[in-house]
Amino acid sequence: MTVSPHALQDVSIVGVGRTAMARRLETTTLSACLEAARLALDDAGLRVSDIDGVSARWPGPGGTVFQPGSADWSNLLGVPLRWVGDTYPQGIPAALEAAAAIVTGQCTAVLVVGGQAGVLGGDSVASYTRPDNEFISCWGSITQAQFALVAQVYLARYRPDRTALADLAASIRNSGSANPDAVMAGRGPYRAQDVLASPLIASPFHLLEVCLATEGAAAMVLTSNDRAADLRGVPVRLLGGACEWYRQQYVDPPRYDEVALIGSDAGRRAFGMAGMEPADVDVLELYDINIFEVVRQLEALGFCPPGEGVAFAAERGITVAGGLPVNTDGGLLSFAHIGWGAPTLKIVEAVRQVRGEAASGQVQGARTALVTGAGSGAQYHNVLLLERGR
Amino acid sequence: MSAVEPSAAPGAADGGRGSLTAPFWEAAAAGTLVRPVCRRCGNNFFTPTWCCPRCQSEEWSYEPSSGRGTVYSHTTVHRGPGAEWAVPYVLGIVDLEEGWSMLSRLVVDPPDDREPGVLIGTDVRVSFEREPRPPGRMLPVFSPRKAGS
Repeated sequence: MTVSPHALQDVSIVGVGRTAMARRLETTTLSACLEAARLALDDAGLRVSDIDGVSARWPGPGGTVFQPGSADWSNLLGVPLRWVGDTYPQGIPAALEAAAAIVTGQCTAVLVVGGQAGVLGGDSVASYTRPDNEFISCWGSITQAQFALVAQVYLARYRPDRTALADLAASIRNSGSANPDAVMAGRGPYRAQDVLASPLIASPFHLLEVCLATEGAAAMVLTSNDRAADLRGVPVRLLGGACEWYRQQYVDPPRYDEVALIGSDAGRRAFGMAGMEPADVDVLELYDINIFEVVRQLEALGFCPPGEGVAFAAERGITVAGGLPVNTDGGLLSFAHIGWGAPTLKIVEAVRQVRGEAASGQVQGARTALVTGAGSGAQYHNVLLLERGR
Repeated sequence: MSAVEPSAAPGAADGGRGSLTAPFWEAAAAGTLVRPVCRRCGNNFFTPTWCCPRCQSEEWSYEPSSGRGTVYSHTTVHRGPGAEWAVPYVLGIVDLEEGWSMLSRLVVDPPDDREPGVLIGTDVRVSFEREPRPPGRMLPVFSPRKAGS
């Protein structure tokens, strides 16, 4: 049997779910993941016994000491599994691996779930915001500082309109402000000057330009298009997707000249598989670790030339009603960032958009969506294109 | 000064993280900045890793650096990893003149954050400061120098 790259298109996301999002949830990560999983299965119209593949690692608390952690889900769900994946991160890499497992006959329906709960708050900070690598942590370098080292060169080299860049952050934050499910619901609306007046975190980034660290869980269920045709909901087909790994994250500092266009290779492959161009995308769910990354990804993915991202996004308009709707739920800046479940959260929102079911920020008539994960500071990136299946 | 040998063969089964980088910290304690140099292809690389990232040779050694370089990029951290970090402080990527680079702290007054990249291209020189937190190693940091000095 030959498997063409386009076999990816034989797979659809048939269910998505997410819990409430908050700065802290008074529950455990496992409970939150279970809730998100139930919601995704209900959304798909599937039962636990229909699942024969899981990519969820073991979220804790507790659990066995054996790897792969996803195998523990067979005990939890009471079903034998035919395939387990411990994808890092989740989101796009998990969807692509699940699709590969499905089209090669390893399994028929995959549950992907992840998130965090009961771990943040008080003195506790998200550990992924302060990577403990030997030649990083001794200098006091936080995750945003790694991204700032990239952005600083960009801003010095291209001199984009700084107020226009801040205004893009305000636009995404305001989508979150209007979204009752966002952690930052009702906060704002913001103008560019509010963004630039917010405290600096790591120059050039201000507080309102960087992502949250919050709690919640997100899940999705994938199966073949054949199986999807028998389910009640609207399937969302995978059109194209790809990953690239330049380096392990937060070991060596990212250099602008090496990581500026990270994602361009994955983007070319994903668009190539889909037979699409950037102009064909109706809604974008970009991994907004900070507002610079939104601009950088527009450049890397071919929406505009390098150095022109701020002007391009400002001219097109990235609000829900704009010509280029970006991060319709408020994104990582304002909706939520739930640790290793956050990449899946991006797909949940994209699926709801192309199904026309977003409770807030629905882009009218959206049928195709672009989702991304990771970014320049992390030195890896991934891209996924989705289309409403019917 | 002669080359500093890695204390365990990089890539050896017992060549764990500690032994891989211990010579770096020992040299720093003695006031010398060192970096891995590949014996096969001459590549300078950092951070230390088990084989040369250019030719995959496991034969490399720590060699002293002049400690002179220029700033490739920088950021001023206003919110550190924890409350014990006195902010603001300036981090930078320093390109050393032997053709390698590292993240470090820049010993400068924080520049005006409204002007991006004002420290890019600044000539700097290494010095050493005691790490204020455990394990209290001597850390290489970089200060501006006159060009050519």
